Amino acid sequence: MITRSQILVLILNRLKSLGVELHKPALVEATEQTRLFGDKADLDSMGLVTLIADLEYDLQQNLGRTVSLVDEKAMSRLTSPFRRVDFLTDYLVEVVNQKNP
Amino acid sequence: MPNALITGTSRGLGRALAEKLLSEGWNVWGFSRNASLIKHARFTEQLLDITDESVVQHAVNLLSQNAVTLDLLVNNAGAASMNALLLTPAKTAEALMRLNYLGSFHTLQAVGKLMVRQRRGLIINITTVAVPLALAGEAAYVASKAAVDALTKVAAQELQPQGITVIGLGFGPVDTDLTKAVGKEKLALINQRIGRPDGTTLHEAVDFIFEKLNSKTLATGHLYYLGKIP
Repeated sequence: MITRSQILVLILNRLKSLGVELHKPALVEATEQTRLFGDKADLDSMGLVTLIADLEYDLQQNLGRTVSLVDEKAMSRLTSPFRRVDFLTDYLVEVVNQKNP
Repeated sequence: MPNALITGTSRGLGRALAEKLLSEGWNVWGFSRNASLIKHARFTEQLLDITDESVVQHAVNLLSQNAVTLDLLVNNAGAASMNALLLTPAKTAEALMRLNYLGSFHTLQAVGKLMVRQRRGLIINITTVAVPLALAGEAAYVASKAAVDALTKVAAQELQPQGITVIGLGFGPVDTDLTKAVGKEKLALINQRIGRPDGTTLHEAVDFIFEKLNSKTLATGHLYYLGKIP
């Protein structure tokens, strides 16, 4: 079992590491309102891919099972779950609960 | 010791490459549908179907759960079929696309994520001279390998920023089970066209792969061929 606040910590920790690696202070100081992708975002598409790969690994380590964060439904939502930290957090909670009812 | 994952290690080029890597001190993981005859302390085999995305993802996740890093992925598993285009059963075309292209796609995607986390890695997709030669009688096979070539070029662009190199290595007919069903005259003709009249032995194919492994000047996204492509 993993809570929303634990998932948020995972995301913020990964963003902090990426921010250091990419020299982007805004990512180091990320909050729930930080934009991840799209206009005025600090991650480019490759950065987002890296973040997703890192988070899949983190969730796998925490839950002891495979988690895929990319599926057709996620990609076709009107509000992309990858647009902002809070959206991504809610999406991860949803994915984790879906696959572990 | 460096780590490699090779698909299709039960026989042919995959097995020969695995044995060579093991002899050079590598740890090798093999994904294969059938059991290999390789017996080595540093060889780990997983019997699985690479056309099944979830199975491949799970197998690669097990590696990362065990803190295995991968320096090299060789997408080698594949099949061929000789048929006149108009007589090629749809099921044959579908099966070749599924194994040659989708099998490579699933493995590349799963291992790609692992390598992105590492920020390094080399991915080799095995391809064929049949694509640039547009060989008659191999439409379904050529189309599936052309898809692999396109995958190689796009993957190279997307993964380069993460320190990952993706290349294709193409061969003419190599002396394996894959080419046994092809007529000798047809093989001779292909070998003539690529400037290798004596054909290509498994040993030569493996040496070519090693030459690229040891190269300091690999161009990501490039398709390298053993033989002359007009």
